Amino acid sequence: MSLTDQLLAAFLLYGMPALFGVTMFSSIGAPLPASLMLVAAGSFVEQGEMKLWPVIIVASTASVLGDLIGYGVARWVGRRLVKRISRKIGGEAKIKKTEALAKRWGGPGIFFSRWLVTPLGPWLNVTSGIADYPWRHFILWDVLGEVLWVVLYVMLGYIFSERVQSIAEVLGNLAWVILGFIVAVILGWKIMQYLRSQNSVNA
Amino acid sequence: MRSRFISTVRKFRRQQWLVVAMFLLIAGFTAFKAVHMARKVIYWQAHSDEPIHGWMNVGYVAHSYRVPPYVLYQALGLPKQQPNKRPLRQIANMQHRSMDEIKSVLQNAIIHARPPYPPPLPDQNSDQEASP
Repeated sequence: MSLTDQLLAAFLLYGMPALFGVTMFSSIGAPLPASLMLVAAGSFVEQGEMKLWPVIIVASTASVLGDLIGYGVARWVGRRLVKRISRKIGGEAKIKKTEALAKRWGGPGIFFSRWLVTPLGPWLNVTSGIADYPWRHFILWDVLGEVLWVVLYVMLGYIFSERVQSIAEVLGNLAWVILGFIVAVILGWKIMQYLRSQNSVNA
Repeated sequence: MRSRFISTVRKFRRQQWLVVAMFLLIAGFTAFKAVHMARKVIYWQAHSDEPIHGWMNVGYVAHSYRVPPYVLYQALGLPKQQPNKRPLRQIANMQHRSMDEIKSVLQNAIIHARPPYPPPLPDQNSDQEASP
């Protein structure tokens, strides 16, 4: 029996505590099927086996808590570690540059990584913590993104209540396609920019 | 223009080739995932039924396959009065059957509960046995 099957079976048997645990650990970065569980929860809401509001409240709270754990550990432990290492081997200027970048783009990055490019979520918690992104802003963007993620996935499960597994598989692939597309466009643009600059130098 | 482009590419150092390799790797991965997703969507449109998994319970399978739940409870020899929330894998373990066996029992019951077959009537005896 796969881990996914075991966790979903636990969700059927124990309900909210299983939803809370899986969503929280998934937000910290554990490879657990939180998206599939949310879609399944939407289906059970539609079948009248669960109530909508407890599902949304429990899943949103757990995901925000998981993100805060990732952010907090990175900010209070990871940041000190990175500073200590950079003092020894250099690279303090690069850390300052990363901090400035995080302060400028951190908000939208946190928001979109919660519900659209979900594989990036746990990584952005850590980088936001290390880059000392203001915690009030982090919580604001995080809550907005996570609530949207939970509502969106539960509603998809509600609408496509007969096809939980299929819709979750499509959503999982879609998140990777969006992430891959964004990174490929950025790299492609960088390559084109370099080629143009070299051509103008040669000309 | 073309010769200038080729001469620029020829001057690429390891760092530039690394970026090109990363670009190709990520573009390939994205294309693979996109094709995989498109195949899933096409399969989904062609097959209205979702494959049965061990995590599903009888209620969900009945809902997904649009058959009355009592048909599946009856096929598995389960009392149907209290909705059984147990996942199929657990039912299989309880009944000392394999998951494949449970799947084939359910699929057989589903086929016989859909047109052109009329669904079987609820089994009165199993109700009486199940009631306290």
